Amino acid sequence: MKNIVALCLLLGFAQTVWAGGFAYTIRPTELKAKPFSDAETLASLPSQSKVEVLKRQASWTQVKSATFTGWVKMLSLQLESNAQNKRGDNGLRSLFNVASTGRSGSTVTTGVRGLSEEQLKNAQPDLQALQAAKRYAVSSKDAQRFAAQGKLHAQSVDYLQGIQP
Amino acid sequence: MRTNRTILLVWNELKMNTVRAEPVEAQESIHISTSSMRTDSWLKRAGSILCLLGFALPAAAFDFGSVDWKKAAETVQKVQKANADISEPQEITLGEGIASNLLGAAPLLNNPAAQQYVNRVGRWLALQTERPDLPWQFGVLDDNDVNAFSAPGGYVFITKGLLAQMHSEAELAGVLAHEISHVLRKHQLQAIKKSARTELLADLANDAIKTNGADPKFSKLVSAGTEVYARGLDKNDEYEADRMGVVIAARAGYDPYGLPAVLQTLQSLNPGDSSVALMFKTHPALADRLSLLDQEMTDQFAEQENQPDLAPRFYKALGAGKK
Ligand SMILES: [Zn+2]
Repeated sequence: MKNIVALCLLLGFAQTVWAGGFAYTIRPTELKAKPFSDAETLASLPSQSKVEVLKRQASWTQVKSATFTGWVKMLSLQLESNAQNKRGDNGLRSLFNVASTGRSGSTVTTGVRGLSEEQLKNAQPDLQALQAAKRYAVSSKDAQRFAAQGKLHAQSVDYLQGIQP
Repeated sequence: MRTNRTILLVWNELKMNTVRAEPVEAQESIHISTSSMRTDSWLKRAGSILCLLGFALPAAAFDFGSVDWKKAAETVQKVQKANADISEPQEITLGEGIASNLLGAAPLLNNPAAQQYVNRVGRWLALQTERPDLPWQFGVLDDNDVNAFSAPGGYVFITKGLLAQMHSEAELAGVLAHEISHVLRKHQLQAIKKSARTELLADLANDAIKTNGADPKFSKLVSAGTEVYARGLDKNDEYEADRMGVVIAARAGYDPYGLPAVLQTLQSLNPGDSSVALMFKTHPALADRLSLLDQEMTDQFAEQENQPDLAPRFYKALGAGKK
């Protein structure tokens, strides 16, 4: 995984690589040759087809089915649940010392600090930490410079109409 | 008669601010208050409105004789004022109190590069919104839980546990933009209003709480504000933050599918793990959130399909891939 990340950095790919994960189609889905709606359809996958996930590009996910490699709409997939969370391993977990707790959700959390329901209810203010956090705030000028470095261009997009769930 | 006038006054206030549906019929029933059936239905409706505003009226209060309508009217007016009159400085002060409580619950991650990076992404996103000038402040919490929080006035926190589930700057942007949307729409303030501490919020609006000293009322309000995170926001507020979040990320020039991609990752996590317990408990089902985004993100986003996700910058800024 680390090598793949390094390779991406080297080549400057703007695609998110997910290695080794599997997913199921949650509805009948067309497997396209390219990540466009009007691209050639390679196959029609029925609901609940198992595919290997390769990478994501905007609303499209590249997958490998039994016979083809192609693209499906990202949201036509549900990722296979994976207790070991292989797919989520982006190299940051070890970097940040994120522990795989393995604790069951029903375990009573002990100790004063933490973000469980009980701990939030009993939280005490830490004003020093707030001051420390403020030191990292950035100005709008700094943010604009940062956006320009990333070649991010502000767009005009309207808020979406909600649909009733 | 006097009581009736007060009720009418309260009702008109409610009609204007709270319920737009069926005011005419309800107003009629006040005038024909001798008809017990209609009175009953009006009382039920009034009662449910009061409950909506966060009052726990005892059953006995529905007995006409024992209701102190004058007091009820005053309280309703006070709360109505709180709805309208929490000023921006008051909102920021309350948010600051809540933020310091969140930092009391989980410390800041000791990683200046990560903190600065998340602030830059967040500030750039906030600049694309209707409240660009709030004192926006972002932070990474040193906690294994997978979660994110925002507080009134522009405080946004994300745990390192959630950050470690992401794969690009666009994914980070999607999550921050969701949290920013809660601040924009004042969802936390609305949740506090629905809590038992409604009156404290009204006191804040009415300048009856000192925010610069050690006013116990203020710390009670801040506690009530922090408890909101244990209980969660309204489901519809979460859906709204999702559909606003993808738009804000798109406005900022990112691949707008970062947020759904993170939600899809979270869906694959073991729901029995304690690190996701609170996040799962306080949010609508991920399948529902994804299905709504799928339906809502239509052709409008075709133009943004090729916007960058800046995965390389994400890994570089967080120190991955250096070794
Ligand atoms: Zn939310």
